[in-house]
Amino acid sequence: MVIIQALINGVLMGGVYGLTALGLTLIFGVMKVINWAHGSFIMVGMFAGYWLWTLTGIDPYLGLIIIVPALFLLGYFVQDALIKPVFRSEVGVREPIGVLILTAGLWLFIDNFALLLFGPFYRTARTPYSGLTYDVGGLLISAPRLYAFIITIVAAYVLSTFLKKTRLGIAIRATGQDRDTASLMGIDVYRIYNIAFGIGIAITGLVGSLLVPFYYIHPQAGFVFDIRAFIIVVLGGLGSVPGALLGGLLIGLIESVGAQFIPATLTQGIIFAVFLGVLYLRPQGLFGFEKEW
Amino acid sequence: MFTGRREFFWKCLSVVFLSLCVITFFLGQVVKAETVKEVKIGNVLPLSGDIAPIGQVGKMAREMAVEEINAAGGIKSLGGAKLKMLYADSRGDPKIGATETEKLIVRDNVVVVTGCYQSTVTYAATAVAERYKVPFLVPVSVMDKITERGFKYTFRLAAKASWWARDQIRFIDAMGKKTGKKAKTLALIYENTDWGQSTAEGWRELAPKYGLKVVLDEPYPHAAPDLTPVVIKLKNSGADVALFVSYAADAILLTNTIAEMKVNCMAFIGSAGGHADPTYLKNTGENARYWFDVAEWESDIDPQSQEIAKKFYERYELHMPAEAVDVYAAMYVLANALERAASTDPEKIRDALAKTYITTGPAMVVPYEVIEFDESGQNPHASLVIVQIREVGGKLERVSVWPAAAAREGYEPIWPIPGWEQR
Repeated sequence: MVIIQALINGVLMGGVYGLTALGLTLIFGVMKVINWAHGSFIMVGMFAGYWLWTLTGIDPYLGLIIIVPALFLLGYFVQDALIKPVFRSEVGVREPIGVLILTAGLWLFIDNFALLLFGPFYRTARTPYSGLTYDVGGLLISAPRLYAFIITIVAAYVLSTFLKKTRLGIAIRATGQDRDTASLMGIDVYRIYNIAFGIGIAITGLVGSLLVPFYYIHPQAGFVFDIRAFIIVVLGGLGSVPGALLGGLLIGLIESVGAQFIPATLTQGIIFAVFLGVLYLRPQGLFGFEKEW
Repeated sequence: MFTGRREFFWKCLSVVFLSLCVITFFLGQVVKAETVKEVKIGNVLPLSGDIAPIGQVGKMAREMAVEEINAAGGIKSLGGAKLKMLYADSRGDPKIGATETEKLIVRDNVVVVTGCYQSTVTYAATAVAERYKVPFLVPVSVMDKITERGFKYTFRLAAKASWWARDQIRFIDAMGKKTGKKAKTLALIYENTDWGQSTAEGWRELAPKYGLKVVLDEPYPHAAPDLTPVVIKLKNSGADVALFVSYAADAILLTNTIAEMKVNCMAFIGSAGGHADPTYLKNTGENARYWFDVAEWESDIDPQSQEIAKKFYERYELHMPAEAVDVYAAMYVLANALERAASTDPEKIRDALAKTYITTGPAMVVPYEVIEFDESGQNPHASLVIVQIREVGGKLERVSVWPAAAAREGYEPIWPIPGWEQR
């Protein structure tokens, strides 16, 4: 019974971790850029969800219709205005690290700006879903986590269909596979970058607002999820959509089920041990989806 | 010839430079001896990072006390010198805390240091102060070892961690005797840094002496994104009483998840820190009802405390937590020592601190009988109360309930607490 309860919780949390990693892996897959500011954008999504709920009282799940496009636009313009110029100046450079440093700078800037704006205080949104649980034959399922999981699956499905079926999606994948060739085929590579970065950030907005009903909101709350996302992306293979989701589930399960047998502190250690092991033995990721898209 | 001339030039320059240095040094000495305008106090606090809220509260309490001291004429034996506060951010990291302490002492020439809230940081920072022979006044960090290293320059106002554990276990025992509903099993859930570990050590040692069996011993990382696994474990353990050591974020997550998973225990008992954080009740609300916590102080203890708490609330719109009270009192202890030292020499301030004996004045906002320091630098009179989150006039607040002498009038502990189904 306990193990089933832990399994359920692990799967639900794992979905959220997977979604977090999805945004990171997409940006990396297309742009070959590691977005250090990923956690900060999750935090932006959390605050967006929090304020939208507290100030207007719009249902937190309905609010996604506003937050996700808003974060997409934010990502689009951040890439267009800040990252693109650095990218352009490094086109011919063999090891472009300017963008890496830029996103690291963004991370520090956004986190500290939020600290300045909102103060270092913890906030919790009291939505109608907060603390709501379904009792299924003695097993307790947290409603907001369940909804977050369902939305995660839907979002991942929509994203992978979009990437596979639509013209734009195919262009995004082509750019990810070979930038120069894509450019020769008439694809506006920088526009694709804008869109890919926008989608990546839209996903962080989604994660952030899904966390609002059951998590605390704090200028550095995104960072906690950020570390997870990096581990998962490596586990699942950099740039792989299904890999990110499966990696997320794996981490969620290790954390939740593992903790039933050993102290919670040690499960964190195991996660990092798995991470190092994969990095060493299978640097392309556990599931071998490397060329999947 | 060319190199020779150049060498000569540099030699001249260094002679001039050195003599200037010597002159400024002596000038400085002369000026210092004549008038002291301000006494520099270094403060190392977690002003950013996930423990920043309580660091900010520490800063607020310091500022309120120092403003009062300065407004009342500063340090009279030093010609009315004002206290000047210098703050450094430890970011919750012992290494940064130690280097910041060093910077304050070497670069800013502070004569005394206070801080650092977190035990691990204080542990490292006090060692630096000891090396430089600068007194370090610790208002709140609870790790036992801080005053057990034979240090001469470390002074602690608050109780040691092991005393907190002692009073929590005594409370569980007393409740069992009083109500006849005896707890038999304990779950220990604590964050895995020095603070949690040292508190848990105390619990583990004391539990068998009071006939209590530890059925769950669970350290957890306080920055984990999900603590549901720990709560599932608690539920499965079936422990009668759950004891916690948590910072703010994890206290909020644990309390809300316990309500979500409908875990029923006879009592949930916190160890201040996150449970006493002013944002804790705002973030947990109903879920925290009936939770117990240990405190050094509550605003309902005596009229003077109530007044100071009211002033704090009016100034910052935050309920004054016990940590802030210790900090506030510490500033007055410091002012008292400076007054008696009549000097800004760290050595003399240390000696004055060692001879502290305070029984009246604003420093007595703490509920101790006396403030003094034993040979190890520990205040042996530090004592604790148990509070419970109860409804007072339609609002949830912390109410002192045990020991009976410290309890708010008309309130007794509710033990065992009602299950989630009966609420």
